[in-house]
Amino acid sequence: MSDLTVAVPEEKVASTKAVVMNQVAGPEVRAESPLYHADLDSLAKQGPRKGGVRLRENKLLGHLTLRCNPNNADQLAAVERVLGMALPLQPLTSVEKGDVSIRWMSPDEWLIIVPGLKAFDVETRFRDEMDGHYSLVNGSGGSTVLELSGDNVVDMLKKSTPIDLHPSEFPVGKVVSTVFAKSTAVIRRTGEKQFELVIRRSFSDYLWLWIQDASREFGLVVDA
Amino acid sequence: MTQKNRLQSGGRIDRSKPLTFTYNGKKFNGFLGDTLASAMLANGIDIVGRSFKYSRPRGIVAAGAEEPNAVLQLGATEATQVPNVRATQQELFNGLVSSSTNGWPSVETDLMGTIGKMGGSMMPPGFYYKTFMYPKSLWDTYESMIRKAAGLGRSPLESDPDTYDKINQHCDVLVVGGGPAGLSAALTAARSGARVIFADEQNEFGGSLLSSKETLNGAPASEWVNAVVEELRGYDNVMLLPRSTVNGYHDHNFLTIHERCTDHIADIAPAGQARQRLHRVRAKWVVLATGAHERPLVFANNDVPGCMVANAVSTYINRYGVAPGNELVLMTTNDSGYQAALDWHDAGRKVVAIVDTRQNPKGDRVEASRQRGLNLITGSAVIEVQGSKRVSGVSVAPISADGNKVTGSVSKLSADTVASSGGWSPVIHLSCHTGSRPVWNDDVVGFLPGPTVQKQLTAGAINGSYSTSTALFEGLNAGLKAVAEVGLSASEVMLPKAEEVNEGAPMTLFHIPHLKPTSQAPKQFVDYQTDVTAAGIEVACREGYESIEHVKRYTAMGFGTDQGKLGNINGMAVAAKALNKTIPETGTTIFRPNYTPVSFGAIAGRDCGALFDPERYSAMHKWHVARGAKFEDVGQWKRPWYFPKPGESMKEALNRECLATRESVGILDASTLGKIDIQGKDAREFLGRVYTNAWAKLAVGKCRYGLMCGEDGMVFDDGVTSCLGENHFLMTTTTGGAARVLEWLELYHQTEWPEMEVYFNTVTDHWSTLTISGPNSRKLLAELTDCDLSNENFAFMDWKQTTVAGVPARVFRISFTGECSYEINVQANYGMHVWEKLFEHGEKFNLTPYGTETMHILRAEKGFIIAGQDTDGSVHPFDLGMGWCVAQKKPFSYIGKRGMAREDCVREDRKQLVGLKTTDPKVVLPEGAQGVLDPKAPIPMPMVGHITSSYWSANLDRSIAMGFVKGGLNKMGEKVFYPLADGTVVEAEICSPIFLDPKGERQNV
Repeated sequence: MSDLTVAVPEEKVASTKAVVMNQVAGPEVRAESPLYHADLDSLAKQGPRKGGVRLRENKLLGHLTLRCNPNNADQLAAVERVLGMALPLQPLTSVEKGDVSIRWMSPDEWLIIVPGLKAFDVETRFRDEMDGHYSLVNGSGGSTVLELSGDNVVDMLKKSTPIDLHPSEFPVGKVVSTVFAKSTAVIRRTGEKQFELVIRRSFSDYLWLWIQDASREFGLVVDA
Repeated sequence: MTQKNRLQSGGRIDRSKPLTFTYNGKKFNGFLGDTLASAMLANGIDIVGRSFKYSRPRGIVAAGAEEPNAVLQLGATEATQVPNVRATQQELFNGLVSSSTNGWPSVETDLMGTIGKMGGSMMPPGFYYKTFMYPKSLWDTYESMIRKAAGLGRSPLESDPDTYDKINQHCDVLVVGGGPAGLSAALTAARSGARVIFADEQNEFGGSLLSSKETLNGAPASEWVNAVVEELRGYDNVMLLPRSTVNGYHDHNFLTIHERCTDHIADIAPAGQARQRLHRVRAKWVVLATGAHERPLVFANNDVPGCMVANAVSTYINRYGVAPGNELVLMTTNDSGYQAALDWHDAGRKVVAIVDTRQNPKGDRVEASRQRGLNLITGSAVIEVQGSKRVSGVSVAPISADGNKVTGSVSKLSADTVASSGGWSPVIHLSCHTGSRPVWNDDVVGFLPGPTVQKQLTAGAINGSYSTSTALFEGLNAGLKAVAEVGLSASEVMLPKAEEVNEGAPMTLFHIPHLKPTSQAPKQFVDYQTDVTAAGIEVACREGYESIEHVKRYTAMGFGTDQGKLGNINGMAVAAKALNKTIPETGTTIFRPNYTPVSFGAIAGRDCGALFDPERYSAMHKWHVARGAKFEDVGQWKRPWYFPKPGESMKEALNRECLATRESVGILDASTLGKIDIQGKDAREFLGRVYTNAWAKLAVGKCRYGLMCGEDGMVFDDGVTSCLGENHFLMTTTTGGAARVLEWLELYHQTEWPEMEVYFNTVTDHWSTLTISGPNSRKLLAELTDCDLSNENFAFMDWKQTTVAGVPARVFRISFTGECSYEINVQANYGMHVWEKLFEHGEKFNLTPYGTETMHILRAEKGFIIAGQDTDGSVHPFDLGMGWCVAQKKPFSYIGKRGMAREDCVREDRKQLVGLKTTDPKVVLPEGAQGVLDPKAPIPMPMVGHITSSYWSANLDRSIAMGFVKGGLNKMGEKVFYPLADGTVVEAEICSPIFLDPKGERQNV
């Protein structure tokens, strides 16, 4: 393995000897988000504009899973250099700055969401800045973000997840990875009546059906 | 029709809102605010069903959840049929259609009634046990009669048009029961700012206060109730749930509440609304204020319509403005029972007599009865009722002070209604649900909630505290305690002033004596719904059933849908007397969820139809659907099974797909395969420990097949893992095994080898995997990539990063078909784009999409196993002939090494996987067929192993199969026989499982 760059010419190999790959195609290539086939844009144009629950797919973002040692000060400093903010070490919390957000997922795991076109850059900078044992995995194709809001958003979510969503237990910024219907979701509160769900691609059609059904009594508005 | 029993005034019904309803095909009138039961009583409907065993006519006995008889079928259409509805809990709505459920051919003239005596002797206590034991031959005769006569309704034959759903709730304090105790508890908790859920099964809060004329602060109690409910409604922190039965109390203060959202409105829920909703509640503290049920007394013919519990009489008069008869005889062992006679008298109806079993009753209500000039007969009991379809009179006789025998002459009184009160039974069901055993209390003459590990408080009648003032006070205290426990402080709550009623001591009496011994007296019913009599319980005790749990099972006491709410205590008392024990010595039975029946709809919620189970789709799913794919469930994934062209049979489609792939190029959506990204400096060593083969020397850019075994050495998953970077690997797993393998890796990392520096992450959903396979796959791919695809640059088991159709891709030259194959991995957002581009360029190569079935055939032609099909947890790599995939010289051990070296695992005659060629090449063996070496051996024939994979191979123009044969690897060329269920025997020859291209040249071109 004397000359790794020859074996994998277009990849960057950092001291961690993990590969990084720019996975984003050019603008001429059609990218289909997990809910592409639901045609949410048309629903946003033609569907009802009033209802108790609003939904928007925040699609084609960069989803990066970082696993590292929260007791390693060097790594924590490297994260701050790359992302411009510290990792949230408090369980079930999240931080957000500009178009980058970080969710605590488990004692050694964080989900970082960045604009889709920034993912490769962030990955590269991690490999440049961060040493030691960690993993950084691009999962952008495997999940999508749903923004849910409205007067009845909590009612709809209560039908879907056993988590206590009362503001005293689930304040703005809290994030949980939990059961959602018969699938899972990463749920984060982004406002009093505003939540963000990160859901898995292969379950997204099921969850889209579920959310439509659970919203039926309140009315569902789809936003573009 | 006129409502002959409707009072001119009074009650909480709205006489300006008349409603019509149907019962057994006849139309009747009622009012808004009625229950179905109160409206039936208003119309003078005496008979609501026939009894289970004796087919005796039965009428409404109670006014609430404890009602055993008025269990009706509802529904105006076939699709809206609802069985098992207690008329006492069903609010009347316009157009309600109901019918009795037990009564063939009709409740009024029941053929079974005429053979009731026979039925009784045919079905003694323990009937089922005895019948099943002997005489066995008679069962068919009994059964047809029982089936027809029994049952409490039927399920609809059409789909329910309504929706039901479930919702999760959390609160600081859940208050169960909306009577005085619950109201004061909820108010106290609410004022502290606690998150409160306040649930009651009735349509309005108030509980016992709704059924009486008592006052609070000198005003009608309803004024205080309204003020409290109004205040509670104003709090954001309070959720009021009327029409909601807390039906189950589970561990860790998890409770389920069955809310009937629209059952009171119409046959079908209004558009967009759920008919019922199941609330799943986590409560920090629970206050049970569930009240008490009045016990009827057990006396001869006490089931004749017109016999009711005393409090129900008061409820019908005070709450619904219905006096369910004209001439009342009240029998009571206590003061509270007198209220029924007082209310009856005040409603302008005739009280024939109050029969008090006590010799010398004293108390405010006794005095009130005397002042009204009512006929008070003390030291006596109603020992028998006359009448069949309605009470016509009663026999009254003096009884001994201990209540055990009749001491004087019998006099007869004319009456159409008999109310009885044997005291009250606290509603302890919910506290029992979590396993807390109730405790008998002699002062209360009933069971009280026992010690509990739950964060549970109780208030009011559930504690045997029957006066309104005590209930209010206990509710306040429970509320204070609950909020203090959750760290809040309560603001002041002023309790209203309740009337003080002095009561004399009750008499402990359950079973009224008769002139004849119990076994010869007319039937004295203990449990109406299951037709258990006092005589039946005595028989059970005589036959040696001494534990109440056994008596219960032997007689079926408490086994009805009412769970014996009225009868259980009486039954225990009868058993205790028969066994010469006390009630606590006899024991008690534990109640189980649910408190009242819950519809299947509410339990299912929205997890039905399209939402029953998640369907997982790949990024190309829509293409598959448009192409007419037939799908196969693999885990929760919907995978294309095969792609028939119009008019094509499955076999034709498979033949075409198989031939096209071997002759030109086929494409498979392999996105569902599990994919795990593995990073860290110890990743390679970790692979060496979880796979059976060696990984130390796998170079960057190379791929390798691996077998994974459990500790027992048995294969549990397989797949190809590729070295992406020196410390970076991509593992693939079977579709169904993805989650299990990731958990397996984490388990070993976290528990056995936490020192290893390695991280695992699922990337299954992230990558779309498009596998092109066949001699033209290279030519096709070359049109879409600049990558040098020559065999020299990009050999079998290499992977390359490149661009395919303008999309960054990792291409793996690995093969599950034995052909030259490329697995193209692109971020799933681009999966459809690349798939479509491949088809744009693939037309000239006859690019053929294929599904899991062709994949199975093609791999079987090559003898490749499928973990889970050719393995079943009992085969190790050597059994599979895959010893080449087990490394013997790895420095560190690996999972399964010790297991597969066990004595039993190295036997020569283990079942081993071999190829099987049928002698007749056209015969395809059924998978699962068992092989024998001698087809003429007597049954049971020694079986040597079964067929695991079997297909028609279009490429070989014959059938092929793989299967296990004992010692098969050393039996090449020998015959195995497969006797099939249809009597034929298929002969097959043992061969190598590699049917095609044994040297593997095709994949290396």
